[in-house]
Amino acid sequence: MNLRQLLILTLLSLLLPLSSLAGDTKVYRGDQSIFEDTVWDGEILIDGILTVAADTTLEIRPGSRISFTRFDSNGDGIGEHEIFSQGTIRVLGTEAEPVLFTSAEANPRPGDWGAINMMVSEKENLLEFCNVEFGYRGFHAHFAKARLLNSHFSKNVRGAQFQESQVVIEDCRFQDNLNGVQFRDSIVTLRNSVISGSHWGLRCVFSELEMTSCLIENNLVNGANIRDGKLNISGNRITGNRRGLYLQRSEGQVVGNDFSANSEHGIFLEDSKVDVVDNRFVENGRAGVRWLNSEGRLARNQISDNGVYALINDGPTAVVARNNWWGSADKKVIAAAVRDGSDRPGMGLVDSRYPLVKPLTQSRKVQ
Amino acid sequence: MDMTLNSYKINRAIVALCVIAFALTSLVQADDLVTEYSGAYAGDLVWEDVVTMSGDVLILEGGSLTIRPGTQVNVFPAEGTKIDPEYLSSQTELLVRGKLEILGTATAPVRFVLIERNDLEEIAWSGITLDRASQSRILHAQLERADIAIRCVASSPEIKRNRITNSRYGIVAQQKSHPKILDNLLADGEGGIFCWKGSNPYLFGNVIKGHDEEAVFVDAESRPRFDRNTISGNAIGLALYPRDLLLDDIAVTDNLENVRFLGRQGEDVGE
Repeated sequence: MNLRQLLILTLLSLLLPLSSLAGDTKVYRGDQSIFEDTVWDGEILIDGILTVAADTTLEIRPGSRISFTRFDSNGDGIGEHEIFSQGTIRVLGTEAEPVLFTSAEANPRPGDWGAINMMVSEKENLLEFCNVEFGYRGFHAHFAKARLLNSHFSKNVRGAQFQESQVVIEDCRFQDNLNGVQFRDSIVTLRNSVISGSHWGLRCVFSELEMTSCLIENNLVNGANIRDGKLNISGNRITGNRRGLYLQRSEGQVVGNDFSANSEHGIFLEDSKVDVVDNRFVENGRAGVRWLNSEGRLARNQISDNGVYALINDGPTAVVARNNWWGSADKKVIAAAVRDGSDRPGMGLVDSRYPLVKPLTQSRKVQ
Repeated sequence: MDMTLNSYKINRAIVALCVIAFALTSLVQADDLVTEYSGAYAGDLVWEDVVTMSGDVLILEGGSLTIRPGTQVNVFPAEGTKIDPEYLSSQTELLVRGKLEILGTATAPVRFVLIERNDLEEIAWSGITLDRASQSRILHAQLERADIAIRCVASSPEIKRNRITNSRYGIVAQQKSHPKILDNLLADGEGGIFCWKGSNPYLFGNVIKGHDEEAVFVDAESRPRFDRNTISGNAIGLALYPRDLLLDDIAVTDNLENVRFLGRQGEDVGE
């Protein structure tokens, strides 16, 4: 090869795009950006960080498979290759042909890749019928607007995590992630979804949450923890967690839910202002309801067959708990099931008068 | 002349070597002087003398943390309401997915000491979590004011002769954890030892006292083995779903209520 040939070859190699087709797989290597609207349909390998530029749309067609190589530059156990979008992402899987986001490693593990990451992405992002696995944060967003529909997030370090965002999650499953869903400073609608098998199921701070018809199950710390939030929680089943629902400095409505078989408490209210109505608290290990420095109605619930107590009032304020079913209408039985100021000086009293004579099962909305 | 030149060169070489050696020694010393820890660690970490957890510490799968006798671990409590990048708690935590060896002795215990601040609440840090950890040991440690001093998730360490005080919960065994919990003192917390979700620890020679709630709580799926423990001065000594535990060798005395069986009356819960 003479010098001229070598020069031409070098120039040609420089002109080659960094994305290329390897077989039927489109490959993006290194740090790259998409500046034009792009459609993916098929096999995509991301071996770097792929940025979707502002005012650009990335559409992903049914049946596509997007895999990420593992690259952990700082040894923290978290892979860094990911999709970083400042534009719009529309993942258009179908039930028959979902879109898969996964690790490209032979022995994949949670945290192999970064995230489907959105930053200041305020047009309607959509993830529909996709399976997201082995990421650090399956879905991640700051200042974004997104709808997650019919999708399955599993074996990620965090199924979904976002901040300062508006997110609708519907008919999704977050299963066997280290933590399920966590967010802050966001407005969130969560419907018909499952969060199970995590340390933390759902965890949020400074957010507005409407959660209906969800199953929050078998999470090792809290099923759901809402801190400094506004909430409307109805028709959910929260079961088999360590704590069921833990509210801190929050306000809203908890109506028509089933809190059962949680290891500690069905619900724990701390410094909160919440109406707790028409729920079922049964077979929780320590207590059905733990009430600490909180306000609100506690009425029309079934609070029976819990472990140590039905209701614990651990704060100095009184609790009005009339019109509940305690498993019995016998005053002595109810008094034994309630721990309050009459048992521990300094704690407020619980007014458990006018008990129901049977549970109002027909009023519960759990599906 | 040549001899002089050679001597000069040799002297310069010696000086250069000394400078290089000094620089290398300084580097090694600088590395040795690292005493603040925060973040994820994949290798084998050794703590001794005085170290500070300035934030969450995660020992990754395959890594290890050894804490030598007499070590003082200063814990800097988290500020604010962080939700990221913490691992499992918004409070400062030591989370181990590899191997933990806390090797205190009777004369040189390992002490976890909170760095005080005016705004600190009584429960000021998360504690130690072993999450699917390798075989680990926690010996002669002193832990206080933790949310859960030692939490075992699918982990079965040896937890021996520790002093756990003023924590919300002392030891939690969950998700099929079967630790050996031997000769510990657990005092003055909300609850002592919790056995959840198919966990069967061996409890020998522990003193569990002064808790506001249950000293030992056992759910329907767990079967701890009790052996010569002393449980007194708690609200409830033993809160038990199972009816089939052998309680003969436990001194459960002087609690407000010594033993309470949980679950529906007349049902053989957990059997």
